[in-house]
Amino acid sequence: MEAYLGIDVGSVTTKFAVLNQSDELVFHLYLPTQGKPIEMVQEGLKEVKKQLPKDIDIGGVATTGSARYLAGVIVGADLVKNEITSHAVGALHYFPQAQTVVEIGGQDSKIIIIRDGIVTDFGMNTVCAAGTGSFLDHQALRLNMNIEQFSQRSLESTTPVRIAGRCTVFAESDMIHKQQMGHRTEDILYGLCQALVRNYLNNVGLGKDIQPPVIFQGGVAFNQGIVKALREEIDTEVIVPPHHEVMGAIGAALLVHEETSASKQKSQFKGFGISEIKYRTSSFECKACPNLCEIAQLSLNGEVLARWGGRCDIWERSPTS
Amino acid sequence: MVKVGIPRALLYYQYYPMWKTFFEGLGAEVVVSPPTTQATLAVGSSRVVADTCLPVKVFCGHVLALVEKCDYVFIPALRSVKSKIYNCSKFLGLPDMTRAVIPECPPILDIDIDINKGKRKLYQAIYSLGRNLSWNPLQVRKAALAAWHAHQEYKELMINKGLTPPQAIARISEAATPSPNPKQAAIALIGHPYLLYDELINHRLTHRLEQAGYRVLTPEMLTDEQLETAITRLTGKPYWTYEEEVVGSGGHYLESGVEGVIGVVAFGCGPDSLMMDMVQRQAIRLRTTPFMSLTLEEHTAEAGVVTRLEAFLDMIQRRKRREAKVCV
Repeated sequence: MEAYLGIDVGSVTTKFAVLNQSDELVFHLYLPTQGKPIEMVQEGLKEVKKQLPKDIDIGGVATTGSARYLAGVIVGADLVKNEITSHAVGALHYFPQAQTVVEIGGQDSKIIIIRDGIVTDFGMNTVCAAGTGSFLDHQALRLNMNIEQFSQRSLESTTPVRIAGRCTVFAESDMIHKQQMGHRTEDILYGLCQALVRNYLNNVGLGKDIQPPVIFQGGVAFNQGIVKALREEIDTEVIVPPHHEVMGAIGAALLVHEETSASKQKSQFKGFGISEIKYRTSSFECKACPNLCEIAQLSLNGEVLARWGGRCDIWERSPTS
Repeated sequence: MVKVGIPRALLYYQYYPMWKTFFEGLGAEVVVSPPTTQATLAVGSSRVVADTCLPVKVFCGHVLALVEKCDYVFIPALRSVKSKIYNCSKFLGLPDMTRAVIPECPPILDIDIDINKGKRKLYQAIYSLGRNLSWNPLQVRKAALAAWHAHQEYKELMINKGLTPPQAIARISEAATPSPNPKQAAIALIGHPYLLYDELINHRLTHRLEQAGYRVLTPEMLTDEQLETAITRLTGKPYWTYEEEVVGSGGHYLESGVEGVIGVVAFGCGPDSLMMDMVQRQAIRLRTTPFMSLTLEEHTAEAGVVTRLEAFLDMIQRRKRREAKVCV
């Protein structure tokens, strides 16, 4: 069986999706990145190998997400694609009629506007990560509950309180203030969901023509409170697809399938064996100019595989020198 | 020889050839601060309050780079260059702000440029500026006229040859620059020159677009008429100085057949937040040319710019491929 693998290494979670020749999802995996993207890619590959039939032949691998270049070097990716394109392609595969994609992840949030099956506009949160998954996690932790409990309890709210969602620092002090005044936790939780949705629409969604159907993707779509608040706020059809959390990985796999069938090239995939290899990462300060760039490098057995982080190409161009 | 320092920031990209010609005409040597580095930004930021915008922080860094390198630093207060249209307050008070935050700065040569006060006042201001370097009014007049010509030549070079300001400056100093190929697919970058040509703060945006195979078009390549026509169409009458760079060029390029338009703004810039929004609304109204706005801040990581740029170029390419399929 020929299969296509998409790996989405985000700031908070790492996602794997395996598609067969007819682009059907045969296996998917959702792991916490835990600040260790390399180890998580290796661990994920081990799991993918375990779950797939022995005669599997990987026809192409694509990486996406904020660690896409790093992951791409490790697995030998045929395609390294940004997460905006990947999410759009994933959404369109399941919903060809989609007009809007809302994606809220661990550290960033995006909106993609689609008309007649092509992306016409997109937006991403600008300079701060207010209102994304990490903040919700942090608040759940502060209230001594897990994120599933957060999701469930926010639905039990009857009179949600108003919370400033413009900045997470303000939101947190607002929440504490309301809690000390005796408001119910459920109402505070749902109030927070509403605040984050408002913030998302006023920032990322500013000036965007949001038309139904709206596809809600990313890890935050697990949160029932946010889904409900989004539905209420935009007052239109919001679809949360079954595999919303791995949609970026699915999109990447679809793209690499498309590309390898067009080019008929053999996959560069380094095989599942790489999950046993010990990669080493290190960094140094380049002293070639006053920019003093922090160069990160990935090496294997003393040989440098890749370097990043320069403001010029001197290190990227010569990974072995 | 007296050395006059010019910070490579803010208005440098608009007027450098003019300023250089003027000071050289008065017998001075012109020293320009080196291109922005991480260090320029770091020392600049340390002098001003945190809320100051990125371009002004960069400017302070460039002034600091000129300390002990020259006898004077030239910092104009450009208030207004068009009737009843005024500049952002940071430009109005630039020499005074610099004096306050950089006490070790060499003596500042400043000039108030305000067209509303009449031509006579403007000539007087230029003369007073020149008097710092020469006692001879005729020499000041000659230098000013030569400076004006240099500015016209500089503008023509950008409009007629399609060069960006850094390319035009290099061309004037006779370094060989490649001439752009007018047939190549183009992407327009719109915004203020101090954002578009500072490779550090924009994370090599031009370079990245060129690497991706595009020709880069910028506001300076348009004539005053083209810019004014576009502003009239979009907002009626300009309100801010340098509105041409944003609303004028944005309005023009959205209907010029380029592959896409990228608007570059500095985080927290008041005038830009209004002007770029006008362009974004026009892009949505027209639906012909893809548009994206990029917000720049002090981030050292390039990921933010890179991801958005990749997605934008993908959007353009996938759209083209789809259109090609439909035609077949």
